[in-house]
Amino acid sequence: MGSQLPAIIVLAPMFGAMFVALFGNRDHRICFPIVVASLLVSLFASFAAAQQVFTTGAIDYFMAGWEEPIGIGIHLRIDSLNALLLILICTVVVLVSFFSIRRAGDQHTEKTPQFYILYLLLCVGLLGISITGDAFNLFVLIEVSSLTSYGLVAMGSSRRGTHAAFNYLLMGTVGASFYLLGVGYLYLKTGTLNMQDIHTILQANEAVRDSNAVIIAFLFILVGIWIKMAFFPLHGWLPNAYSYCPSTSACILAPLMTKVSVYVMIRVMIGVFGVEWIFVHLGWSHLIVWLAVAVILAGSMLALAQREIKKMLCYLIVAEVGYMVGGAWLSDPNHWGLTGALYHILADAMMTLCLFLAAGVFAKRLGAIEIKDLEGLFKKMPVTSVAFVIAALGMIGVPPTAGFYSKFYLIRGAIEGAHWEFVAALLISSLVNAVLFFRIFEIAFFGNKPAESYGHDDHHEEEETVKVEAPWSALFPLVASAAIIILLGLFNGPIVELLRESLDNLPSIVTTQAD
Amino acid sequence: MITKVLATLAVVITGALLLYGTADFPAFGDPHSPASAGVEGGAPSISQYYITESYGDTKVPNLVTSVLADYRGYDTMFETVVIFAAGMAIFAILRVFRDEDDLEPNPTHTQGDRFIDGDHSRIIVGTTVRLVVPVIQLFALYVVAHGHHSPGGGFQGGVILGASFIIIALATDLGNALSRFSEKSYFTLAAVGILIYAGFGVLCQVLGSDFLDYGVLQKIFLTDGPEMARSHSMLGVEVGVAFTVTGIMFAIYANLSSRGTLKSGL
Repeated sequence: MGSQLPAIIVLAPMFGAMFVALFGNRDHRICFPIVVASLLVSLFASFAAAQQVFTTGAIDYFMAGWEEPIGIGIHLRIDSLNALLLILICTVVVLVSFFSIRRAGDQHTEKTPQFYILYLLLCVGLLGISITGDAFNLFVLIEVSSLTSYGLVAMGSSRRGTHAAFNYLLMGTVGASFYLLGVGYLYLKTGTLNMQDIHTILQANEAVRDSNAVIIAFLFILVGIWIKMAFFPLHGWLPNAYSYCPSTSACILAPLMTKVSVYVMIRVMIGVFGVEWIFVHLGWSHLIVWLAVAVILAGSMLALAQREIKKMLCYLIVAEVGYMVGGAWLSDPNHWGLTGALYHILADAMMTLCLFLAAGVFAKRLGAIEIKDLEGLFKKMPVTSVAFVIAALGMIGVPPTAGFYSKFYLIRGAIEGAHWEFVAALLISSLVNAVLFFRIFEIAFFGNKPAESYGHDDHHEEEETVKVEAPWSALFPLVASAAIIILLGLFNGPIVELLRESLDNLPSIVTTQAD
Repeated sequence: MITKVLATLAVVITGALLLYGTADFPAFGDPHSPASAGVEGGAPSISQYYITESYGDTKVPNLVTSVLADYRGYDTMFETVVIFAAGMAIFAILRVFRDEDDLEPNPTHTQGDRFIDGDHSRIIVGTTVRLVVPVIQLFALYVVAHGHHSPGGGFQGGVILGASFIIIALATDLGNALSRFSEKSYFTLAAVGILIYAGFGVLCQVLGSDFLDYGVLQKIFLTDGPEMARSHSMLGVEVGVAFTVTGIMFAIYANLSSRGTLKSGL
């Protein structure tokens, strides 16, 4: 018996969900304390796990104690690749749970317990995906997280939300099936579902490694995950699903779903197939980096074309997914691209969280759906706007926010891997983000009026300065996420060092190419 | 038109790739295939291990059950959670509490009066169902309990048990079925089912082992060795699965058939 932390991290929210199901219907006020308590247990457990990982090494946990021979049981693993991701997921869900206090009750007072049950089970799914070392267990947890997210998206009162959820359900199911097909092919060729075991077999057995079935398996797994992360031509479900669903659902799904999928892709690349097989044997690196370039440009341009705040943010997510996929596939010799992608998972999750929280507050307090409704924002809600500005500066990539450093590492990787097109795409995307957000700042600060009318009606100006600041339950997560964006940026050095621990023993690609 | 062409193209490409991948599959039923015999360079075959060792490990003759509920019990627990989440999602989406949209003025005569006086066609159906339902339920319990020896177990037994309530609702009306199995009780049952499953896991942790490592439960079951403790615990978690599946099966039917009002049903 080793450390029980991996089990505790995943199971605490599940027990929370069951207690909400049993006791929540009687008195809805009991739901929120249960939710926060169970998520805090996970948060502290993941801090403890990370501390253990970075001092004594990776934690391996064998479910039901079935350790030998490898692969008969289910293997959970926390290493330097996912330790920080677990902390990130727990932090985001704890923060959003505060935001949910009023939101969840808005339209669905009778369904508050069910909302929290789905919310907690979504956390279980995401944490389980991040922690598992078993390819099939990953699929089961993808199902848990997908089903709950369909429910969360459809819970809103708008018909468009329900429609978007149905669309999301169809696409999500296709994605999960592709993943499962890939795993099935892989099982047929390797006879195991344990990620480490598959990795050893692919390293050791050339006949298996070179077979078409394994390449097809990888392709299907990759495309399946791409659908889940809304990689550009497969992004169709995302903008509607995230912009027409209840604000709380958007705040939890937008920062986490795509980012966890990116992590899964990186885990499959490094932990299952191995960088050498991916970059040297397959040699798709150039193709996929060009694809990512197209994604970044398309996402940015589509974001520029939007009038609604949330829609715009959704297309920014699509572009950001391009950053991470491109970064992961740069195949530069020192793995700075992978580092950048991993760091960007953390940075982008916090930035997206902050922006979606702010968008939720705008919609609720100002009724602002479109960008032009944000007139006079800075006077009406100063704290919210400051948080929004910090997250926006992060998206643009202004130091010392986290967004600057992730771009820095990605560009460093792109230069070392000689992918100049990726450097260009990142810079253009930053420029587009700057245009987008400064347009919002201008409307929010100076108003939407033509310049001449200024100074004429001071009287009117005074009327507008009524403060409608968000309640503390929304301000707390907003301010906290904005603070984390800056902290992530300031402490980027040690964080990147921790992330690189898992990348250090990967084979360097350039030397293998030279052989 | 263009979307149809694109969709067809996507399907054809997907199918072609899948077929292409099958080219170097092991032959069908090949005893030396990687899945049956393991691969050179990898760990020894897990299928071989299950076939030869699972009875010794768990004293369960049906090795599907031992793989499902013990070796990969963690997966099965989450499969149950998937079902639970589906029930919750359907409740969250469909359930309506206000009666405004309920256009059908349906007098609520429940308790089965409706088919006794008046509606003669319902007498036959109702009487048959009354006779059949206990048998179905008994069979469901048998399927749950007999999963150790034959195909069956919590999922199948739970579905049959849930179907027995659905058949009551079909033969009489939803109100009648709900008076026997109310909304509160089916959701409680579903949650209790998962708590039973996870509770077994946590109990193992409390007794000083890993999650779901049933072997340590011999201290509670007072069995001779860890093997029989595993066997008993598997029955326990199967019962948990059956609870959840039963509750959610009926919850899904009740919400779908009445459009979330839980009023009249089909």
